[in-house]
Formats: sequence, C-alpha cells, structure tokens
Amino acid sequence: MDANALAYFAAGIGAGLTIMGGAAGIGRLAASAMEGIARQPNAAGDIRGAMIVAAGLIEGVTFFSLIVTILLAIK
Amino acid sequence: MNAIVFLLASAAVEHGGSAAPTVGEQEEHGAATILFHHVLDQPVLGLPSKHLLFFVLAALATLFVVRMALRRYRGGVPHGLAAAVEMLVLFIRDDIAEKSIPHEGRKYTSLLCSFFFFILVAALLGLVPFPIFPAGKPGVLTATSTGNIAVTMALAAISFVAQQYAGISKYGVIGHFRGLVPPGLPAWLLPIMVPVEILSMFTKPFALMIRLFANMLAGHMVITTLLLLIPLMAVVQTFFGVAMIPISLSLGLFIMLLELLVALIQAYIFTLLTAIFIGMYAHPAH
Repeated sequence: MDANALAYFAAGIGAGLTIMGGAAGIGRLAASAMEGIARQPNAAGDIRGAMIVAAGLIEGVTFFSLIVTILLAIK
Repeated sequence: MNAIVFLLASAAVEHGGSAAPTVGEQEEHGAATILFHHVLDQPVLGLPSKHLLFFVLAALATLFVVRMALRRYRGGVPHGLAAAVEMLVLFIRDDIAEKSIPHEGRKYTSLLCSFFFFILVAALLGLVPFPIFPAGKPGVLTATSTGNIAVTMALAAISFVAQQYAGISKYGVIGHFRGLVPPGLPAWLLPIMVPVEILSMFTKPFALMIRLFANMLAGHMVITTLLLLIPLMAVVQTFFGVAMIPISLSLGLFIMLLELLVALIQAYIFTLLTAIFIGMYAHPAH
C-alpha cells in the first residue's frame, strides 16, 4: 500500500469510528430525554431545549474528527 | 455548480455512447473535483468570491426583512412578517438571553438577535438555487456563506470579544482573569487550572466556529454527492443513470428538508452557546 491508499484507508476507518461515537452519544442522550419526558410530560419543553444543546456539543466534537478524516481523504 | 448541471445534461449523451472518456476528461469532471468546486470558494460572475457575494446578500436580506417587519410593527397589532420576527426576537430575549445571562440579558439581546438572524438567513439563502448564465451556458449558483470557515471565524471572533467584554466590563481586567479560577482552590492546583482555563477561553469560540462551518459544509456535500450519483451511474450505463434520477432527487429533497431544520438548530445553538458563555464570564463560579 502506498501513502495515498493508507490515507484513504485511515479516512474511511476514521469516518466510521466517528459516526459510531457520535451515534452512541446522541442515542443515549435521546433515550434519556425520552424517558424524562415520559416521566414528566410537563417538562418536555425544557428537556428538549437541554437535549438540543447537548446534542450540539456532541455533534461539535464529532465534526472535529470528521474534519480530520476529510483532510486525510483530500490529502 | 455549473459543472454539475452541465454534467447532468451531458452525462447521458457524452458517456452513454461507446466512446470511453479519456483520462484528461475524467480528471476535469471527476466527482471529487465537482464536489470541491461546489463547496469551496470560487470566483463567480466576475466577482472574486461566491461566498462573499452570498455573505453580503444574507446581510442585506436580514436588514431588509427586519426593517420591513419593524415598519409594519408601528401600525399597531403585529401580524404576518412582523409577528414572526417578534416571536423570534421575544424567544431570543426571554428564553436565550435572560435565562443564560441573569440580570443582564437585555444588554446582549441585540447581539444575540444579530447572530441568530444572520446565521438563519445565510443558511436558508444557501439552500436556494439561483439560475445563472455564465458565457451563455445555463448553470445553478448555490453557496452558503457560513460554509466558509473565514465567515464562521469572524462570527466566532465577535462571540469571543463579547464573552471577554462581559467579564472585563463587570470586574475589570484583573478581576476578570482572577475570576477564571474559582476562589479557594489549593495553590498546587493553580499551575494546572490556569493554563486549562486560558485554553478553554479560546476553545469555546473555536468550537463554535468549527460546528457552524462543518454543519453547513456537510449538508451541501451530501446533497451534491446524491446528485452526482446520477452521472456516476450514467457512466456505467445510461439506463442506470436514468433510473437513478428519481432516487437521487427524492433523497436530495429529503436532505434539503433536513437542512431547513439544521439551519434553525444551528442558529439556535450558536446563539444559545454564545449567551451561555457570556453568562459564564459575567457570573463566574464563586
């Protein structure tokens, strides 16, 4: 394998790992938020707002690593 | 951009026949080239930068729409556009500014409204395809100005200045930096905590910059890739390309609808996080 092939390989693996991490994080977050809303339907608005912020933070970290993979792929 | 439409129109004719494309042609019209031509900054219509063009358009559209809403607002009970703008402004003032920045929310509401409306309008404008005719050939121009990292960097820099201003104007320069570490911390922790706090001062706007940039970039990349599937399949066989058209268009439409949601969420998140960070510097932990 030459260097380019290794870079593409790393980018593909990295993108897959990134999605696994991000999906696990946001999945847990959504599951907990739904449980919270089911227990306390009155607090649905507040819970949703807090959920979106936390999802945004998780997504931000995920994008950091996605950008690393894009840089690897267009190297 | 133009290259996509050109390729969409010519793929069936050009590559459908038995004539195989030469290597040079593949390099020029390769999928990756078109993808990056679409998402990266290009000179367009004689102007130096398409993102600059859309940046100015978004700023003018924001100003125009809000001024128009303001004029209607003076008539009495707001309805239509004025009611929509009022609802958003009230939402930003009550649910974002005053909740995240206790006692001083109103002072920063105008800044937060500017962030929210500009990011929202820029993202929505990026979803509108504008027909253009460079050199007589039909083409489509779409660009999200917030999909350029320089634009989001400027937004994040303004956010950074606002955060530091919130702390410095309230406690003075020395008090602001002293407030970074909670009082009563053991002295041996200071060599760790001070660098960490100063680093986090800069990583906050950096994360804001990357988040907005990557979100806007990702949507455009996905839509472009889905549309590029048509010519890519047409290269294999013309029938595959034709069969791919409804699939690509419906998936692209779905992503476009998702992008409407993302535009709202990203404007909300950028505004909310800026407000939270301002609140953190205005009221450090005691």
